[in-house]
Amino acid sequence: MNQKSPPQEEINEEMKKLVIARIDANLPSNLRLSIGAKETLSKGEMINHVRVGDEQGRQIIEMHLNFMRALTSGDFVKQLNSV
Amino acid sequence: MQKGILITLPKFDLATEYLTYYSKSLIEKAKSENLKLKEIHERELDMNTFSKIISNLDYKFIIFNGHGSQDSFFGYKNEILVKVGKNENLLKERIIYARSCDSGAVLGIKCTENSKQGCFIGYNRPFVFYMDENWTSNPNNDKVANLFLYPSNLIPLSIIKGNSTGQANENSKKQILKNIKRIWRDKSRQETFHIIEGLWNNYIGQVLHGNEKVCL
Repeated sequence: MNQKSPPQEEINEEMKKLVIARIDANLPSNLRLSIGAKETLSKGEMINHVRVGDEQGRQIIEMHLNFMRALTSGDFVKQLNSV
Repeated sequence: MQKGILITLPKFDLATEYLTYYSKSLIEKAKSENLKLKEIHERELDMNTFSKIISNLDYKFIIFNGHGSQDSFFGYKNEILVKVGKNENLLKERIIYARSCDSGAVLGIKCTENSKQGCFIGYNRPFVFYMDENWTSNPNNDKVANLFLYPSNLIPLSIIKGNSTGQANENSKKQILKNIKRIWRDKSRQETFHIIEGLWNNYIGQVLHGNEKVCL
């Protein structure tokens, strides 16, 4: 059951652009995100944090990338099929 | 250790208001099971007061709601409640559920080191949830937040019902996957992938340290 803490990875401009595009295109403006030990974020604030690349921006990027990796590796479907 | 529950209820921003709101059903369940219960609210949530309370109440199960970091839990207005190297020993040999970011990475490991009956369930990355701005004054109607917070509630609910910590962890993780499946079927919704990404984040970040066979 024990798992190691996830390593931080280097965030580049391409990753930022990809995540900003996904948020901009698909996130409804009535949703707010609670992430990290700070205030909840509106859609516009999420995009700003990703653009700046601060702690919350990095957390948002990693959330997106982790999901995309799980999709491409097959782990996501494997886990879904387990229930 | 007494069969009792200590629960932190900070309420000073939208996120902690939601966590406090979602704790109501846990409190009701604990009361219906006649468990001893100590609610710790807002201004009691600083390190000194919290340490005194926990030192005097040897309740087995502690539920932390609020913000956190790898080595700390925070209380009211992000006052540090527990920090590695300062007072994490107060958590030894207890069952801990931490609905907070990151604390599974360091604090959860430290507070269960060399422990026989201790168990920590929490997150080794940010615990995330989306909320619908239209329902922030009435979280009960917020179906988006419920997708995230109901599976997290299943951890303490399962433990209160007598399940082992390992079973509680599994029940919660299965519910996250069930919620993902439900949302996945409705790809027409604009926000589907964002919600699934958030749920997946909590799924892969939810960790158990210590004894997975222990019960309340």
